[in-house]
Amino acid sequence: MGKRIDLPQGALEILILKAVSLGPLHGYGILLRIQQISGERLEILQGSFYTAIYRLERNGWIEGEWGESENNRRAKFYRLTVSGKRQLKEETMKWSDMANVVAGILQAKAEEL
Amino acid sequence: MSFLPTLRCWWRAVAKRSRIDREVAEEFQFHLDAYADDLVSQGMTPAEAQRKARIDLGPMDTPSEKYREAIGLRVFDELGADIRYGLRSLFKNPGYTIVAVLSLALGIGATTAMFSLIYAVLIHPFPYADSDRIMNPGILTIEGRPQRWFATFKSQFEALEKAKSIESLLGFRNGNAELTGGGLPEDVDVMYLTENADTFLGVPALLGRGIQPSDAKDGGQHVVVLNYRFWQRHFQGDRAVIGRTLQINDENYAIIGVMPRSFAFNDTIGVSDVYLPISLQHDSINPPIRASYIPWIKVKANVSLAAADAELDAIVHQFAKENPEHFTKKFRLQLEPIIVPYQQNTGHTLTLLLASVLLLLAIGCANCSILLLARGEARQHEFAVRSAIGASRWRIIRQLLVEALVTSFSGAVLGLAVSRWLAMLPMQLSPSSFPPESVIRINIPILAFSIGLAFLCGIVFGLFPALRLSRPDLARTMQGSLRRIAPGAGKRKLNLLIAGQIALTLLLLTTAGAVIGDFLGLMKVSLGYDPQNVMQAGIMMHWNNPKDWRSIQPREGRIAYIEQIRQKIAAVPGITSVAVATESTPPYSGIASGVEIARGARNAEQEARVHFVSPEFFATLHIHLLQGRIWTPDENIRGDFVAIVNESLARQYWAHQDPIAQQLRLPTLKASGPVMIGSTASDGWRQVLGVIADVRNDGVGNPAVPEVYVPYTTYMYPFAQFEIRTEGESLAYLHAVRAAVQSVAPDQQVSNGAYDLEEALRSDAQWSRQRLFSVLFGFLSTLALMLSLAGLFSVVSYSVVQKTAEFGIRMALGASRSHILWVAASVAARSVLVGIAAGLAIDLLIQRLLARWMNNADFSSNSLTLATLLLVACSVVACLFPARRAASIHPVEALRYE
Repeated sequence: MGKRIDLPQGALEILILKAVSLGPLHGYGILLRIQQISGERLEILQGSFYTAIYRLERNGWIEGEWGESENNRRAKFYRLTVSGKRQLKEETMKWSDMANVVAGILQAKAEEL
Repeated sequence: MSFLPTLRCWWRAVAKRSRIDREVAEEFQFHLDAYADDLVSQGMTPAEAQRKARIDLGPMDTPSEKYREAIGLRVFDELGADIRYGLRSLFKNPGYTIVAVLSLALGIGATTAMFSLIYAVLIHPFPYADSDRIMNPGILTIEGRPQRWFATFKSQFEALEKAKSIESLLGFRNGNAELTGGGLPEDVDVMYLTENADTFLGVPALLGRGIQPSDAKDGGQHVVVLNYRFWQRHFQGDRAVIGRTLQINDENYAIIGVMPRSFAFNDTIGVSDVYLPISLQHDSINPPIRASYIPWIKVKANVSLAAADAELDAIVHQFAKENPEHFTKKFRLQLEPIIVPYQQNTGHTLTLLLASVLLLLAIGCANCSILLLARGEARQHEFAVRSAIGASRWRIIRQLLVEALVTSFSGAVLGLAVSRWLAMLPMQLSPSSFPPESVIRINIPILAFSIGLAFLCGIVFGLFPALRLSRPDLARTMQGSLRRIAPGAGKRKLNLLIAGQIALTLLLLTTAGAVIGDFLGLMKVSLGYDPQNVMQAGIMMHWNNPKDWRSIQPREGRIAYIEQIRQKIAAVPGITSVAVATESTPPYSGIASGVEIARGARNAEQEARVHFVSPEFFATLHIHLLQGRIWTPDENIRGDFVAIVNESLARQYWAHQDPIAQQLRLPTLKASGPVMIGSTASDGWRQVLGVIADVRNDGVGNPAVPEVYVPYTTYMYPFAQFEIRTEGESLAYLHAVRAAVQSVAPDQQVSNGAYDLEEALRSDAQWSRQRLFSVLFGFLSTLALMLSLAGLFSVVSYSVVQKTAEFGIRMALGASRSHILWVAASVAARSVLVGIAAGLAIDLLIQRLLARWMNNADFSSNSLTLATLLLVACSVVACLFPARRAASIHPVEALRYE
């Protein structure tokens, strides 16, 4: 387990979309999956976590449906919608573009300029 | 943010609120439990796990609020809460609410009423298609004085139709006819229309169809379209009337349509009962009328009026060359949009009324602001608490604005309800000032107008106090007791509002004073005749019935016929005198005609009003003979060589000579055509026999114009009109008059439209407009006064309550009652004085403008002084009444007062 990092603005949404794209999950499941994939390095504030989920649902990118959890309780499972898929693709490209650009700039050495 | 899913989400959140709340809570609970379970499996005790889970997830009771915030509904929730709070505080302060809502209801109601009136009368009065492009062609003198319209021959009409600037042309001609076939013959007004009427006017028929080109076939089909009112009157609105027949002048016509109520064609020459194809005219009338087409012109959309004027002017001058007897020597043609006569008559009136209702609205808004500010002083504590526990300034402003909007919308709803009635009022008071087509109804533009108005008012009167009250002085207010002695910081704004209110009220009061004074003056005007108990009734001779016509077509026969009827009417008991008079009933009387004066010094075209009357006319209307004599019955039968003039004419032409025995002639008096008949020398020289006193002949409010009276036998129409003076109510004799006429000729009708001269005077456009002005301005200024006084009253009352402790201290230190009274009342006294000064200044500034707009309204210093005194007196009462309470408080009680 490395150093914990805070998420920049808007990153949580795309992570949720990604988590859900792998298969339907309930809210807590999404949280666990993100933490698991990140190798427990992300600190997600649970209070603001649902705000992000609701916003994604409002925009019609994810869709909630009531189902049964692994321990037989009623839980709301979210899955990616068609427009959500498109959104995820767009956002992913934007993120990697930005990451590349930022990384490129940060790695620049004086003689290369 | 994607739009559609968002809307769907909001809809679900609003419509299925309880389910969504439940689901959000359940999801939250699930998360909490699952998290706690995991924590337990990591080794925490269940109690510890629950606690940590709760801390991480945030408060348990707000998940649904969080949900609504996340999806963006929070703003609406807060607004909803503000509205509920606003309504609650309205109910909690009924005194404030009643005054504020009523102030606004009056203002918004009156403004909406005026706007709907303006919309109905000036913006959208006619139901016709492209009515803004429909023109009346008018013949003007070279100097631009309007003369008259003109009718065209069929050939001329067809020539006009070819003009390039004309899109389409409507021809019409009105006439009288009788309904036959029923029990009693009944007069109807008939309007012949060219068969393109349906497409030209573009008003769909209510039932059946309008007149169409196919109706012109075979010299005109025998079809008839009914006017709405006639349909209601004659057929009681029976919808099965289409296809039935109507007998007009002994011929059958198939009823093909009924026009809607708004179709009142043509109000300038009289709204008709039935509409017929114009092609019929040549068959049904014998002898035919040549000039039978009065044109209405629809100009092409892209043609300027000046270009159309120029083209048509040339065409009409060509007509004048071919038929010089129908035109004056020099003239020019000008197209006039059909709305213009109403704009001239009513436009200024309505603009002025709109301005005054806006003043009223401003006063109402100021009143609400004053109330809010005054009440706000008492609410300082509430705002201080709110602000102390973290409400932002914007949050308080928003709450105050919402409260203001709640008030203004309540006012608007009430105002809208009364506005319909208010809008009808001017139409009822002055029906002749408005096109009969205009119907007042609440429609989308008017609704939008009043909603916009309510919104604007709410913002305007709410913002002022909101800005001021949203910055509470925390330290001072929370300490409490200080505020009761120190003067409030909002006082200056309050004073400004009161002064403004008083100024506007004074403005309305002085205007009302001037208008009412003007109207009273008009009522006192000397008419020159006595309209009381005089009726005018007419007969239309049967000139299209050859059997009847043979005996009354010749001059002697016609004179005998008219005279016989006159004598029979005069013989009715209770009828004191009867005179024959053609188009000679004041206050608009006589036919404009050129006049030549023997040895006349002037070359300019001289004009006078000609009256065709019998010698009894002057006595019947109680017109004074100033000089000379009236012609004898024998001279009356001869018709020629005699004339009587009025004082104005005598003064104009023979100022320093004796008018008696002067010579004049009326060159246009030459009867032409088979239905008119004249005396042998009708256009020859006449000797002036007498001079009569001026009679108002150009409207009640205007001075008399020169007139010449000649015997009616000089120039006879196929109709005659009688002035009948009776004992008591004149119209009560109408039945007896009918019987008298029928005793001479059994099938001779008395035309519809017999009327009482005094009643006609009361419904006269000018008279009724002045009355409208007086009533409305009186009404509006009274309202304004009441609103301002309510404002004053509440300001003084509030300040008395606020300053109770101060008064207690003053009294304890030995202040006299009159001193306390003065201190309490002085809160408003200075503002009132400033307001009156400002009002007087504005009044003096705009007086000239108003005087011009209201046709010589009398802005004497009288009405100004009177209005000022009234306002001062009322203000003193409004201030002293609540101030008296201050003076009557016991000092000990006042000091203890909280």
